[in-house]
Amino acid sequence: MAISGRFVALLVAGVLPIILIGQPWALALWLLLVLVLAGVDLALAGSPRAVRLSRDLPGRVRLGETVSSTLLIANPGRRRVRGIVRDGWSPSAAAAPLRAAVDVPPGEQRTTTTTLTPFRRGERRAAHVTIRSFGPLGLAARQATIATPGAITVLPPFNSRKHLPSRLARLRELDGATSVMVRGQGTEFDSLRDYVRGDDVRSIDWRATARRAAPSGPGLVVRTWRPERDRRVVIIVDSGRTSAARIDNEPRIDTAFESALLLAALASSAGDRVDMVIYDRRVRARVQGASGAELLSRMVSSMAPVDPELIEMDWTAVPALVRSITSHHALVVLATTIDAPGASHGLLSVLPQLTRKHMVVVSSVTDPAVLDATLQRGDRELVYRAAAAERALLDQSRVAAAVRQLGAEVVTGAPQDLPPALADRYIALKAAGRL
Amino acid sequence: MTTQAPDQQVLTRTIGRVAKRALFWVVVVVFVVAIALVSLSTVGSNADGPPLDPDSASPGGSMAVAEVLRQQGVDVVVASTLVDARDAVNGFDDTTVLLYDPKGFLDDDQLRDATTLARTVIVVDAHFTQLQAIAPEVRQAGRADAELTADCDLPAAVRAGAVSGEAYGYRIVDGSAAAVTCFGSGDGVFSLIQVSRDGAALTLLGLTDALTNEHVIDSGNAAMALNLLGSKSTLVWYLPTLADVPDDGDANLGELTPAWVGPVLLLLVLTFVSAAVWRGRRFGPLVIENLPVTVRSSETMLGRARLYERSSSRLRALDALRVGTIQRLAALCGQPRTATVDEVISAAAAVTGAQSGAIRNLLIDAIPATDADLVSLSDALLVLEHNVAAAVHP
Repeated sequence: MAISGRFVALLVAGVLPIILIGQPWALALWLLLVLVLAGVDLALAGSPRAVRLSRDLPGRVRLGETVSSTLLIANPGRRRVRGIVRDGWSPSAAAAPLRAAVDVPPGEQRTTTTTLTPFRRGERRAAHVTIRSFGPLGLAARQATIATPGAITVLPPFNSRKHLPSRLARLRELDGATSVMVRGQGTEFDSLRDYVRGDDVRSIDWRATARRAAPSGPGLVVRTWRPERDRRVVIIVDSGRTSAARIDNEPRIDTAFESALLLAALASSAGDRVDMVIYDRRVRARVQGASGAELLSRMVSSMAPVDPELIEMDWTAVPALVRSITSHHALVVLATTIDAPGASHGLLSVLPQLTRKHMVVVSSVTDPAVLDATLQRGDRELVYRAAAAERALLDQSRVAAAVRQLGAEVVTGAPQDLPPALADRYIALKAAGRL
Repeated sequence: MTTQAPDQQVLTRTIGRVAKRALFWVVVVVFVVAIALVSLSTVGSNADGPPLDPDSASPGGSMAVAEVLRQQGVDVVVASTLVDARDAVNGFDDTTVLLYDPKGFLDDDQLRDATTLARTVIVVDAHFTQLQAIAPEVRQAGRADAELTADCDLPAAVRAGAVSGEAYGYRIVDGSAAAVTCFGSGDGVFSLIQVSRDGAALTLLGLTDALTNEHVIDSGNAAMALNLLGSKSTLVWYLPTLADVPDDGDANLGELTPAWVGPVLLLLVLTFVSAAVWRGRRFGPLVIENLPVTVRSSETMLGRARLYERSSSRLRALDALRVGTIQRLAALCGQPRTATVDEVISAAAAVTGAQSGAIRNLLIDAIPATDADLVSLSDALLVLEHNVAAAVHP
């Protein structure tokens, strides 16, 4: 049970009769009156225990967006349930308002709507609903908490989708371009068309021109090429301890997810097959064999509940993992961290196995704060910090050089720059026919 | 997605279940309180009664004397106020009044009233001011001997023969007064003095120990006490208390304020408590949130910076800065990644027109002796980079 402000006001109003009567027994009488009124109120309050609750909730929401969760409150009892209700969402669901007034007549049903603006990825849960049911006088209330589990999956925001239109445009430029200088590997014959001024003369197909030779004129024919299709792209996202680090208030793994989503969107519209695995010492999530819109949907769903674990990434299992996904030549993107030579030992030791068969791109987030620190040398402390930052950059470049030496590509960038940088690298590789 | 549990689980416990769970602890608390009350009451009655209390069995009490007197048919009445004592007197001639007021609750008038309640009045351990009021011819004479003999023909004293225990002595300063003196310890000091007052006998007794449970059985104490106190059919054992103190002080706050002030104050306290309950009642339990680990990425960098700083590794710190500068200079001057330092130095000197020796000193040779050197050298590195960049891209 609970009491209201009205109860307190009624109690303190007793000062007046006590002064008027001027006798000590007036206090006892007043207390008795207040208690009897509160007791009657409590007895007349509708039972919050008998209330039937159900939720109407969207299953998924993208991080940063707002959805409304509806709670249906049915009152099968004989008395009116009038009071306030609190829907027990976890704090990261950012539910508003936290409490709502309800008034459910007997035998009827009412709804309360709570808007949720989750600020963390993953599964946000509601544990219970608490109802406080006041009596007709509003002095005292019965209160009960009823277990009403509910959950909403908060998907990664995919903010980098704003880069998608420009990258798709560049991909279309590759398509059908005749200006590809290097014929051969990496390009497929697309079609023949009439020569227009500006085309590379080396792409003129003389045989086709001769075949087509018409009395009306020369009518030169050129060959057009298009990028290869149906290549394999395998994205391995490292969910080990290094991915838990926050850069610009964003965990590394979230940046890796953004990059993976942009790359997958781009590659699937370029006609390539994309598979993704999130891995540390076990497979945390796997998306295989999906394409088109289903691919992105499945990717965000599988990414949503994954948080980095504070364990070391097991790189030795990665080649077998890639082999289990495809036995053909593929573009293998490793979204991980290259920070210090010691910490990257595992990655470097397995890269030769991967680069022997596949095109490998290592994508890593760099910390813009480190770069800033190298330039701030105002006092003694800052100079030491700048030195440590230079050393960190040096370590990164050493690891990157080692990765390149082992035949893999390296893409680094600040959190907001990495997804488009990786997309650009993919387009460049595709244009060069190295997929 | 609509979800509804087939049978809802109410997490709040019903009052019945709460009471059932609390029952054990309520029983425990009641049991402990009961034990405490019982032990306190028993301990209090045995050990800590006031001296010469006829209901106290402690060494300082007088239960032994009182009980023996009752067995002998004497009606022993305990009085705690003057009014009680007066009510208890059963005939002026048939009553003995014992007055013992070590804390001086009675004023002079009350003392005089008390000593005229009956024909036989025994005042135990009267001190100076009390003597001034009831028997001005007698004065206190300090402690008496531990062993005293009767030396007089008072029946009680004669039967006792000798008494022991701590005692006070009295001295008669007005020689003309008629008095019986017993238990002298020399130099005109006596521990029992009986003076006459208008036909009544006032006995001043200094032999306090003789009446206590502890010492009543020593030598002739019992005989003296029983004979002295048991001579009449009724004994009023009067131990004055605080209730005897006349209430003549100023009116207190309670009397000055109206009758409703107290109840109103109590009501305000209750209001405060109920307001606390109103605001403090939790609206359902907390919801658990699993928080992610927060790892700041620059921690290793900052840790390394502090290590450099704490160990004053100036050269190591400067070398790190120099390597960064050389790499950037090489990139600016169009040198390959594999270019040696000498090549970079000469390229930078060619671009800026500065002395290659000075650049060499800055990039390789200079050793910072103090932190000030380190700061100035690092500034010089930045200036060099800036100059080269300005010369390459004007």
